[in-house]
Amino acid sequence: MSLSRLLERLLQLIPVLLGVSAIAFLMMALTPGDPVQIIIGDQSITPEQEAELRRGLGLDRSLLERFFIFLRNALQFDFGTSYYHRRPVSDVIAERLPATIELSLVALIVALVTAIPLGVLAAIRKNSILDRLATVGSLLGVSLPGFWFGLLLIMLFAVQLQILPVSGRIGYSSEVPTITGFLLIDTLLHRDLAAFGDALRHILLPAITLGLPMTAILMRVTRASMLEVLRQDYVTFADAKGLSRRRVLFRHALKNALIPTVSVAAIETGSLLGGNMIVEAVFGWPGLGRLVVESIFLRNYPLVQAAVLLYAVTYVLLNFVADILYTVLNPRVKL
Amino acid sequence: MNALPRLLLATALATCPALMPAAVVAEDLIVGFTLDADTLDPANHRKRETETVIRNIYDGLLTRDPDMRVVPEIAEAMTQVSPTVYDFKIRSGIKFHDGTEMTAEDVKFTLDRVTVEGAMGDGQTSPRQGLMGPVASVEIVDGDTVRITLKEPWPILPAMLPNQQIVSKAFVEANGTAGMATMSNGTGPFKLGEWRKGDAIILQRFDDYYGGAPDIAPVGAACVERVIFKIIPESASRVAALLAGDVHIINELPTFSIAQVKANAGTDVMTVNGTRSFFLAMNLQGEVFDDLKVRQAAAHAIDKDLIIDRILDGTAARIEGILSPDAFGSSELPAVSYDPEKAKALLAEAGYPDGISITMDTEGAFKDTAEAIASMLTNAGIRTTVAVGESAQLTEKWRTAGKPKSGDMYFSSWGNGSLDPFDIFTPTHKTNDRGNSAGYANPALDALLDQAAVEMDAEKRAGMYREAELMINADQPYVYLWVPQDIYGVSKKLSGWAPSADSRINLHDACIN
Repeated sequence: MSLSRLLERLLQLIPVLLGVSAIAFLMMALTPGDPVQIIIGDQSITPEQEAELRRGLGLDRSLLERFFIFLRNALQFDFGTSYYHRRPVSDVIAERLPATIELSLVALIVALVTAIPLGVLAAIRKNSILDRLATVGSLLGVSLPGFWFGLLLIMLFAVQLQILPVSGRIGYSSEVPTITGFLLIDTLLHRDLAAFGDALRHILLPAITLGLPMTAILMRVTRASMLEVLRQDYVTFADAKGLSRRRVLFRHALKNALIPTVSVAAIETGSLLGGNMIVEAVFGWPGLGRLVVESIFLRNYPLVQAAVLLYAVTYVLLNFVADILYTVLNPRVKL
Repeated sequence: MNALPRLLLATALATCPALMPAAVVAEDLIVGFTLDADTLDPANHRKRETETVIRNIYDGLLTRDPDMRVVPEIAEAMTQVSPTVYDFKIRSGIKFHDGTEMTAEDVKFTLDRVTVEGAMGDGQTSPRQGLMGPVASVEIVDGDTVRITLKEPWPILPAMLPNQQIVSKAFVEANGTAGMATMSNGTGPFKLGEWRKGDAIILQRFDDYYGGAPDIAPVGAACVERVIFKIIPESASRVAALLAGDVHIINELPTFSIAQVKANAGTDVMTVNGTRSFFLAMNLQGEVFDDLKVRQAAAHAIDKDLIIDRILDGTAARIEGILSPDAFGSSELPAVSYDPEKAKALLAEAGYPDGISITMDTEGAFKDTAEAIASMLTNAGIRTTVAVGESAQLTEKWRTAGKPKSGDMYFSSWGNGSLDPFDIFTPTHKTNDRGNSAGYANPALDALLDQAAVEMDAEKRAGMYREAELMINADQPYVYLWVPQDIYGVSKKLSGWAPSADSRINLHDACIN
């Protein structure tokens, strides 16, 4: 892809993001529920004090006024102050984002590492017991609700066998100064192997829970496309040439069979961010998903608006990456 | 062998020993807690969970003992000089966590920061201003006495003061309100170790602690070296963490998990009377519930004892008025009997011999209980459909503060952390007040509540609230249901800790054996 084409694609993002900002703002502002009443709850307050609180949050202004203030500030990357944390929304989100990204990436790795070999094996040994088991397994993987599967894992590995922790990112005897915010990387950079192991033990169950539906989908995609490729003439030709089966499968067939897998994986990574909200709650994972759900219920407008925007940018960028990967893997495709 | 598999194998081998569970350091006391603190600034939040965490770091002028009596903490003594003037003599020798001495100056600064408009900086007023009542001024009268002067009598002041924690003037001036959100310098039994946002708040024992309220023994530094509030929002996971031995205390144990936690060898259940009253609000502006007879029919239709016994597992106290049995001014009231036949007869008298059809709004968390109530109402001729809504939406629909409202019935509740009728009776029953979801309007009651709010004679004041309770018991704008207990799961290794009715988790005296 040429540089100008790349730039053009990036420029297309601008109207998309403007549209998303407007939707994020309106969605929150038009949802019933008054942030001030939620903040006060059952505690006593006089009408004057209530008005003062409303003024302090900027909620005494008209909807239109608030929208323009939001847009103006957002263009300068200022998303306002969280009603509850009383700190800039960008700070609050930045604290929670690494945990979410780390979990998503590990879930993605878990999914790729299990799904691709299983999918290939199922295709090669079509209709074998392994193939059937994998197919049934993938059906279960797509259908099991994450919160339920997560709780089952907790009951087995944490409560019964007591070999993995129920929740959190790392134990409290470990102290890891932040470098990247990703504990698995930071612990290695500090050469603290014990802490790395501890972080790995903590991330295992949530990553498996989060990665399960994706594993199932990727396995089916890989299996189907591998079967498709194996029927192609060039594979028959390679076989006829007397190439080893291994070489045919891995050098010729797999490379082409992985094209759909890669693009589905990139798009599904976006949905990992959505699945995070539930998995993070079940495993007490201190990520962004949980924070956003809590903020929606509390009508913490600035935080939700910024987070929706962030999700949208991520999703759009992931699609963009998928497109680029597609052209790399398959040079015949031009963007 | 290629480089990649070799690397993977090496990593796997290297991490094997590290994968084994680390040896448990027994001294950490870990609380599995529903929510993270929003901020560590005692003056900049309105949330109970945040206050629970903050009160282990910061102490207040006054606090409450296990029997919920208000006792001095940082104040050595409180003297009421006149109906509007209170003097607090400040204990000497109290240190902040940074080692500086706490003085009356800090107390005045703290109270000004909460009560004076714009005192938080950047034109912001503390969201906790409303919890301090009509404060006119805070002054230091001699070196160690702080005087609070009120604009008008407000007998609730001592009951509300435990909710305000004393901050260091120098520390706030140095770090600003922005810094106070994530840093702390209190006088409480624990100081902040590390705050892993969304994950845990790690607190360390403050060895120079002055000891806390002398009325609450033992007095001295805290028992454990480290306390950790570990955030686990999902109830099932919180219970699992307790059963697995990962945590020592969990809050909000669901009633359906009580048996499981009791049956487990290393854990137990602790309860304390709560402060939240549950009720059914009936829309008095609506077509059917404007008739007293229909409201009485609804009250007679519900078997509260059965629901408390079967659904709430016996962990609630029934009420016949708005006040919880532990609240100031609470008294024995005429009980409304469970009598579906009488309910049907009352409906017929009101002109509905074939019964009525209504909808009951409630939040998802209370769906089971609401369904049980609905089936009882239906049996008595009030055919009820449960509609589940989201909290923020229902609040806007029902708590209209006098504006017209739609809806028939609302299964809801109101909290009363101060255990003083002032902040539950007035908002839920005074004409057009914030929490008056029934839309009840009774000028005689309004006058009585206004009078009681400023009455300084405790006995007279309690008498007024009894009179008010009798009025609402007769008018039945709500069906008053129960006050649930707060339920905690605890490890049997824990000693020296008991839950507190104001949801404070005071870990000063808690030990791990």
